[in-house]
Amino acid sequence: MRVRSQVLSFASAVVLAAPCFAAETGIVHDRRMGFVVKDWFTAVYETKFMDECPEGVSIANDEVWWRRLSRADKDEQTGNGMIQALNRVGVSFLRGRNGEHVCLEPDSVDDPPQRIVEGKLSFGVNLDGDADGKASAKSCAHENFTHPDGTTGIDNQMYRLVGCTYGWRKDVGTVDMNANEMRNTSGLGLILIDVSEVDNPRNDDDVTVTFYRSVDQWVQDSKGAPLPFQTFNIDVVDGKPRYGDSIKGAIKDGVLTTKNGDVRLPWYGNYVFMHPVIRDLTLRLDIDPSGERATGMVAGYYDVEAFTYYIGSLGAVVPVNGINCSSLIKAARELADGYPDPKTGKCTALSSAFDLLAYAAYIRLPAAAATKTAER
Amino acid sequence: MSMKLTRLISVCCAALALTACEDPEPKLKGAPPDMRRLTETQYENVISDVFGIDVDVAGRFDPLRRTSGLVAVGAREARITPTGFERFYNAAKTVSERVTDAEHRATLIPCTPADAAKADDACARAFMTQTGRLLFRRPLTTAEADYFVKAAGEAAGANGDFYRGLTTSLASMLVTPQFLFVADTTEADPADKSAERLDAYARASRLSFFLWNTTPDETLMAAAEKGELNDSASLARHVDRMMASPRAEVGMRAFFNDFLALEDFDTLEKDPLIYPTFTLEVAENAREQIVKTIIDHVSRGEDYRDIFTTRKTFLTRALARVYRVPIDRTDNGWISYEFAADQNRYGIQSQIALMALYAYPGRSSAVRRGRAVRELLMCQKVPDPPGDVDFSLFTDPNSPSKTARERLTAHINAPACAGCHKITDPIGLSFENFDGAGQYRLTENEAHIDSGGDLNGAPYTGPEGLAQALRNDPATASCVVNRLYSYAVGRSVEQDDTAVVNFLDKGFAASKYKFVELMRKVALSDAFFTVSKPNTTAAASGEMAVATAH
Repeated sequence: MRVRSQVLSFASAVVLAAPCFAAETGIVHDRRMGFVVKDWFTAVYETKFMDECPEGVSIANDEVWWRRLSRADKDEQTGNGMIQALNRVGVSFLRGRNGEHVCLEPDSVDDPPQRIVEGKLSFGVNLDGDADGKASAKSCAHENFTHPDGTTGIDNQMYRLVGCTYGWRKDVGTVDMNANEMRNTSGLGLILIDVSEVDNPRNDDDVTVTFYRSVDQWVQDSKGAPLPFQTFNIDVVDGKPRYGDSIKGAIKDGVLTTKNGDVRLPWYGNYVFMHPVIRDLTLRLDIDPSGERATGMVAGYYDVEAFTYYIGSLGAVVPVNGINCSSLIKAARELADGYPDPKTGKCTALSSAFDLLAYAAYIRLPAAAATKTAER
Repeated sequence: MSMKLTRLISVCCAALALTACEDPEPKLKGAPPDMRRLTETQYENVISDVFGIDVDVAGRFDPLRRTSGLVAVGAREARITPTGFERFYNAAKTVSERVTDAEHRATLIPCTPADAAKADDACARAFMTQTGRLLFRRPLTTAEADYFVKAAGEAAGANGDFYRGLTTSLASMLVTPQFLFVADTTEADPADKSAERLDAYARASRLSFFLWNTTPDETLMAAAEKGELNDSASLARHVDRMMASPRAEVGMRAFFNDFLALEDFDTLEKDPLIYPTFTLEVAENAREQIVKTIIDHVSRGEDYRDIFTTRKTFLTRALARVYRVPIDRTDNGWISYEFAADQNRYGIQSQIALMALYAYPGRSSAVRRGRAVRELLMCQKVPDPPGDVDFSLFTDPNSPSKTARERLTAHINAPACAGCHKITDPIGLSFENFDGAGQYRLTENEAHIDSGGDLNGAPYTGPEGLAQALRNDPATASCVVNRLYSYAVGRSVEQDDTAVVNFLDKGFAASKYKFVELMRKVALSDAFFTVSKPNTTAAASGEMAVATAH
């Protein structure tokens, strides 16, 4: 009895302490805390001497085009050299066999294969649950990575696909950077992460994580970062959230980790609106003790068709990032390791991982959405 | 005594409680008549009311010096420097050009000249006397009217334009002392031949600037002309009309802006790297928030003292970020909001406005906050630190002390400092849960903040404890009475006024601390209008030569 009383007493103290802590710091309101995503970068593991890309970086679309032209063709295509290089870029897209746009018709040319990552280390998680990368009902055969921390069985075919393309390399690539910049300065398609059923923002073994799209722009501080704890309204259609997929999770010592679930996410960047479904999405979010910001990772299977659509829509982003649409898209189909098509057996999704930086936010739900979330 | 008679007496006493049973107002000698320069806000209000045009003069006039806790008192010491005059002239020129421009002349000028290219004395006289009455808050004397008509005629002739003439003459009117200074013009008191009293127009101005912070309206001017403001029943009727007007809120706002020294927001700066959330918008909203909170509270007839404990307030999206609360509003407007008990926002003193004002650009200040509570909210004077004080113990960046309490404890043990710090720090340290931008925090330099304090020896814990202590301290209620009376009469409270202030204080308590009742009582008091004999004839004369302004 004495032991039981002590347990009860301890449990009561925890219950009482939790809302008190939350209210004092403003992190949690009505058992909910939220975040707005500022940065979304494809997780790319890089070594100092680019050992992961022994053949070097991939050859850009316009470069492939240019190399194949005869001197006479070059004169003709460039107005005897009078047309600026940047203006030639548009012409280089239309080099399909019958003049097709190669980013929209990637099979219309036979280009050198995409240079892909050949290293053994990668960020990400073990999405398919196996350690050997063999084909299964849920996946196609692929080579697993080892995480830099030594964890084996890491699935990240997206990294294998784009890791040797300038556009996704740290400091030089602008694919993700441009997308973030564009999304953050326009306020279009900001991803909101709502964590509900929170009793303690640092330790809680049962929370629900829901993803929404914001319709509000944020206010930035003098360094360009969003001010934390702004209120965001979500995108609503006929009184219901346009997005709103949920997965269960838990928080331990300030680190939120979710189970896996299919999540349709809002997306805007590089002038492209999308709503890709990331299958088996799992989120890890390391919440700063101040509650003001969080860093973490989203991992899951990224649909190849969505990726193809995105690459095909990048336009001027392609040449400046050393992308060859045709080679990249063809490689994406080959490297896909998740969700085999029942008819063809070919996989339809790429295991992937993305680094996140998010800021504390209050997410304002319409009454119906709040009920829906609570029911989950 | 029969039961019936007892009841009758009881009913009678209840009915008379507010009149016959109340102590009579003490008589006072009053202060000599004086003049007070218009504040920037008053200038804008007057121009808006007289001409219906908005002119922004913020920061353009020489600042008035806060005296005895109020700018309204400092206004009587204002002098106009040559540079200051230039600023008044520039504002006057802007106003007069807009009044006489093609867009406004049809509505603001009561006549049309026979020939717009020439002077028209009749039309100029009609305009200048009508406008002059509103700007001087009394009818123009014949000499004054002649002067402005002549000025309009000469300028019209020189420019070949009647309206240019009016522009010049109106601009010259707007820089006269008669307009820029509200003068206590007096007349012989019929009840006491040896005494003076405010004349009807000065009474109207005093009422109007106190209750509305602007010039008398037509109804009040007409009442002054009919002598109604010397009759107590008529006066009460006019005060009630003014208190019922939406302009009464303008008047209350002006008082609380002055009472809380909110003009300091004009120069408030925060380090954006330390407090990125404290934007210009937050500063502007915080200033408005504290005023909105008070006005809402007192307008609802709530106990004034509860402004120190109330959790009800108003928020914008910008403020909600700093308070860390979700806001149910999509634009930049206001919503009413009540903080939860565990959010530790009790009373106006815990709002961003005072927390940010009485702090440094990059850190909080227990001393400044403690001093502000003593001086602003309790009307208690805290001496300035001695010139040779050694701050090194407090400001040493390598100090092992993590919290303000630890640093101040080391500092105030110096005998020269202890005296003042004992009255400021126990209050100020209980605000330490609010950082220099007014954001709530639990720790400083990773050390837990102890926000305990004491007020006049009575210990309390944290913001809620301080809120109750302030609410229950008689000094906070008597302070607002003292300041409101001082604001109303435009001078500091002297020994002669003590009895009247005590009388108002008792009335305030009897009304259950209803601020609007207090305002009404001040406006209806004899003391509000009482002046002693002038020290010099020139200072209070309404006949100051127009030429002095030129």
